[in-house]
Amino acid sequence: MIGIGFVLDILSNIFLIVGLFFVFLGMLGLIRLPDVYNRLHTTTKIGTLGAFGVMLSILLKVGFSAMGLKAITIGLFLLLTAPVAAHMIARAAHRHGVDLCDESIIDEYCDSYDK
Amino acid sequence: MKQYIVYSIPLAILWCFVNGDISIVNFTFGLVMSPVVIKPFKSLYNFEAEVSIRNDIRRIPKQLRYLAVLAIEITKANIMVAKIVLRPRININPGIITVPIRAKTDVGITAIANTISLTPGTLTIDVADDKSVLYVHLIDIHDREEIRASIRDDLEEYVLEALE
Amino acid sequence: MVFSIIPCVYRIIKGPTIPDRVVALDAMTLVIVATLGVYSFIQESVFFMDVALVLSIIAFVGTVTISKYLDEGVVF
Repeated sequence: MIGIGFVLDILSNIFLIVGLFFVFLGMLGLIRLPDVYNRLHTTTKIGTLGAFGVMLSILLKVGFSAMGLKAITIGLFLLLTAPVAAHMIARAAHRHGVDLCDESIIDEYCDSYDK
Repeated sequence: MKQYIVYSIPLAILWCFVNGDISIVNFTFGLVMSPVVIKPFKSLYNFEAEVSIRNDIRRIPKQLRYLAVLAIEITKANIMVAKIVLRPRININPGIITVPIRAKTDVGITAIANTISLTPGTLTIDVADDKSVLYVHLIDIHDREEIRASIRDDLEEYVLEALE
Repeated sequence: MVFSIIPCVYRIIKGPTIPDRVVALDAMTLVIVATLGVYSFIQESVFFMDVALVLSIIAFVGTVTISKYLDEGVVF
């Protein structure tokens, strides 16, 4: 008979490993991708979900105690604010004059504001 | 006065979560302290809007479905970008396109922009002045019209139903 | 986790433009927050979780402020 604690333990270990792996992938993308906008893709999506996975695994490990509640609060906060921060950086970068990388095929944004 | 109570409840719940202790005493403490926070920042909360609790409660199933769709999309997005990062040679076609939106209120536009940022291969850069067009950065463009259609039909429906 | 911080530092030093460095700093705080979460669990202490929460809030506010400064030249 497998107890529910055992299942939660396995699940939280899986979340922890997946989360750490995703954080590492996000930082790998930070090196490998060519320009600011593509790097924002990796840090916003992969990094945030990785951190959320880590926090979720802590919640599953300790239950609804003080630590678990704070962990899930941090995770939700990161999930909420990462798109806003990414939008601000991308907008500032484009207005600051950072061009898109050479592989880019289309840019419909540059006509929409006067420098 | 009614608005104070309505806006205090989320702040009290947030206080419980940050403090790490969900209990009646803690919740009441948050409820008592939150008007002190709301008063100086009164201009950030829209006090003119009429609050109707019944209307809010009726929307909850749709919002839950929106959250479920959002979770699935986030997982798909991560797997897709992870595949791109792990490719031995990175050959991508990034670019910025315009996407027309139908949302009218500020809450709706914010929700759709954040949703787009978290879904596969797209990142919102800016919203036009007349609030009708979003500028979206794509990591890999293959078919422009297909992406526009997918945003309009799949994501925006749920946002419009849930939040407007 | 240490392996994840190395790319951030590389990008901060090397990064060709200022927004690159801002992105790298943001990502580095993300890694540090995740590390603090794991460390708090290992040490069985709640206080590192508070540090992580405050650090994530400060990182968000700092990123928005720098972006606004780059954009318009004024903060407020």
